Amino acid sequence: MGVFGTLYGAAARGALGVPLTLASSVLVYSGALQFALVALLGAGTATLPLLLIALVLNLRHLVLGAALRSRFESGPIRRALLAFFLVDETFGFAIAAGNAAEPAAVGRATERTLLVAGLTLYVAWLLGTLVGVLGGGLTAVESVAGAIFPVLFIGLAALAATRRSHVVRALAAAGLTAAVAIWLPGLRMLAPVITGMLVALPGRER
Amino acid sequence: MSALVVVVIALITYASRAAAVVLLPRPSARFEAVLSRIPAAIFASLATATLLGEGGALPAAPVLGAAAGALLATPARSLLLCLIGGAIGYAAGLFF
Repeated sequence: MGVFGTLYGAAARGALGVPLTLASSVLVYSGALQFALVALLGAGTATLPLLLIALVLNLRHLVLGAALRSRFESGPIRRALLAFFLVDETFGFAIAAGNAAEPAAVGRATERTLLVAGLTLYVAWLLGTLVGVLGGGLTAVESVAGAIFPVLFIGLAALAATRRSHVVRALAAAGLTAAVAIWLPGLRMLAPVITGMLVALPGRER
Repeated sequence: MSALVVVVIALITYASRAAAVVLLPRPSARFEAVLSRIPAAIFASLATATLLGEGGALPAAPVLGAAAGALLATPARSLLLCLIGGAIGYAAGLFF
């Protein structure tokens, strides 16, 4: 997480400036979304598509949160605090800890793991971002920024594709986006939201 | 991007996290299936959008090599391996 934070800090510094880069990591704490926003900003995307991307990319939190909700035992205030630390990685750790716990301790193990993993990764993300924005020796990172985003998004797509149908839909979305880039270049940076939703809707899961 | 947009995005992000954990019942199986399909499609689409320039112009050879290297590593479903594959592909692309 620290390494990715460093990459984010170095890549975002040019688009957001140092204060906003740091503020985004402190307040948003979502690597995938933050990288997406920087990539879109670099392409000159307007505010509305940025907000749409944030909305759509965050929809998956509803599923992750719902899966954790059934395991939590504490009250709404503690759950609201824990919710800040809900990211893909901490979700995985929390679910694994709950699965390994005795039935009576599932809630406690899930919540404790979400808190500890969340705090640890949050601090690593912040420190990484700080190193990235302040690192004078990271100009090499900036020079390869054009390659970082496609590679990062390909990796995130691979992680998110847990079924064969997800792979097929991802390939379809990529193809549609390429078609938009060629024939409707003005909509190129809005295409991810539209095609992502379009390919997600039809059909049954396989 | 202004500070206000960062704050709004932070609020959207936190609300999406807290909604299910604090307020919402578990989504229906159908809705859950649709939600689970979105991230991979969006990330693949973002990869394409950041790879292609105006009019679908291809990027320089190192960037293409990096994308190809990352794609080759996708069966491992590891972000780290995709980054390593991308770095190797980028280095290879420098020779073209």
